Amino acid sequence: MADLIEAALRHGLRVAALVAASAIVFGLGLANLLHHLERYEPALAQLGAMAALAAVLAGEAALLVRGRPWHRLRRVAVAVVLAASALSYAALPDGRTSTTIDWVFGAANWVGVVVLLDRPLRDSVAFLLAHELIALLHLLLFDEPTHQTLTRFATGSVSVVGFPLCLAVMAAVLYRLGAMAADAHLEIERVRAADAATAEAHRRRLARYGELSAGTIPLLEGLADGSLDPEDPRVQRRCAIEAARMRRLFAEADTVADPLLHELRHCADVADRKGVAVELDVRGRWPVPPVSVRRDLTEAVLTVLATAASRARVTVVGGEDLVSVSVVADCDEVTAPEPVSAGVRVEALYHGDMVWMEARWQPTS
Amino acid sequence: MAADELITAVIVDDHAAIAAGVGAWCAGAVPPIALIDAGDRLADVWTGPGAAADVVIFDLELVPGRPDFGELRRLVDTGRRVIVYSQHIDDAIAIKCVDLGALAYLTKREGPDHLVPAIRAAARGEPYTTPSLSGAFIADTAADRPRLSQREIEVLRAWFVSSSKELVAAKLNIAVKTVDTYITRVRVKYANAGRAAPTKSDLVGRALDDGIITLAELNAKESPP
Repeated sequence: MADLIEAALRHGLRVAALVAASAIVFGLGLANLLHHLERYEPALAQLGAMAALAAVLAGEAALLVRGRPWHRLRRVAVAVVLAASALSYAALPDGRTSTTIDWVFGAANWVGVVVLLDRPLRDSVAFLLAHELIALLHLLLFDEPTHQTLTRFATGSVSVVGFPLCLAVMAAVLYRLGAMAADAHLEIERVRAADAATAEAHRRRLARYGELSAGTIPLLEGLADGSLDPEDPRVQRRCAIEAARMRRLFAEADTVADPLLHELRHCADVADRKGVAVELDVRGRWPVPPVSVRRDLTEAVLTVLATAASRARVTVVGGEDLVSVSVVADCDEVTAPEPVSAGVRVEALYHGDMVWMEARWQPTS
Repeated sequence: MAADELITAVIVDDHAAIAAGVGAWCAGAVPPIALIDAGDRLADVWTGPGAAADVVIFDLELVPGRPDFGELRRLVDTGRRVIVYSQHIDDAIAIKCVDLGALAYLTKREGPDHLVPAIRAAARGEPYTTPSLSGAFIADTAADRPRLSQREIEVLRAWFVSSSKELVAAKLNIAVKTVDTYITRVRVKYANAGRAAPTKSDLVGRALDDGIITLAELNAKESPP
């Protein structure tokens, strides 16, 4: 948005400068030139200089219409303007610097500034000084530098340098304002993004707290107020399940190639620490299930692992249309967890002292 | 060989602890199995007491990272009954070993529960399909893989997952013997494919004789997708 405003401002300024310069060159400059045509030595040189300035203005007009800057041609254009100025002075009758016969003094300056409008201010200043220097050189070499001619030159210079300089200063200020607006805009975007990220993190933290409040927090409260006995195997089992759920919750935030396996490893690790030998074996490839499905798939595993006595085998067999997570372990009969997501089924088989629980997910798409 | 005769096996493995562990499992088996430790010397499989052993337990990677398929082929082609014992779970290597004519492929994570039955099966010239090899079969996506029936895949999958034939039988409501039959059928289909080897043709011939599989079923190929 800020960029658009700035571009519109730049464009407007270029148009205004071009119109002003054209009016001065073709109005004042050309009128003076034609009026004194017979006094130049030769007149053809003056017409050539006028043609050169006209060509540069035409170039600016063409670029403006196509919305393009000068780029590398800018040096050439400035050189052409200075050359036109020098040519005009070479063919100027002696003693006539900064009089009405000296039409180029008040014309070439505008053309140069128009070309240098979107450059830093010092470029315009350097150009104007160069133009001024050519005129001064003519004055010193071919005119008699009397008090009168110098005064006339000085008064002429005030408008020749001063007015275009005003335009250049205005342009520079405008561009700086535009750049500042763009910076401010970026800063606002950055703050907004940071704000959104903070809000999202807060939302996630609340969600996690909500998930823990159902299982972990009552357990911890019970242990703290003594209503739950740490010696009780049922309490120990709840602890093991909650520990695995917390590990899974933390693992969900990790960025990994296969989140399902990553979370299963974290669930298995809790049992591993209790001294249960857990084997994890995997075959096939599968699409990444959403978080809620992964929770359903891993819930069966962590429920069984929490009560496994000595060994457990966890397997994942997957394909494009079915992902099956199984756990086989020596443990007491445990109730199969109820899946929350659609498309997930949990089956349990009790055989002797072995439990086989399988969670299957069929991606529906 | 008669059922009551003592089975002898020779193990080639450069890790002394592995050979000692397998030796202990064999000694503790009922009836016990005699194990000859050849260390990392392949020559001891071909000469001396090792040459007469019923079963060769072969560490596929005596040089780490370079599975010795050539030696496996030489052993199989001279009629030896070979169990490949590998530290890697690599489906492609497992299937290649089966294709070369190994009677069993075990990973070193698969303990005495699978190694002892595998040695007994190999001594009879029969294959033993471990859960890891089952996993390799169900994950096989090669274009020329044999076509397996839905039930066969179900049994393989359950065997891979549970690692217990009793559990497979209970889960699928079939007898343990039926579980074995399905696994054998898959194994025969794989034996019928690829390279010719005496152990493989024995396997196919016996399965046809016993009516475990018919010629038509055997020659059905997976149609390319």
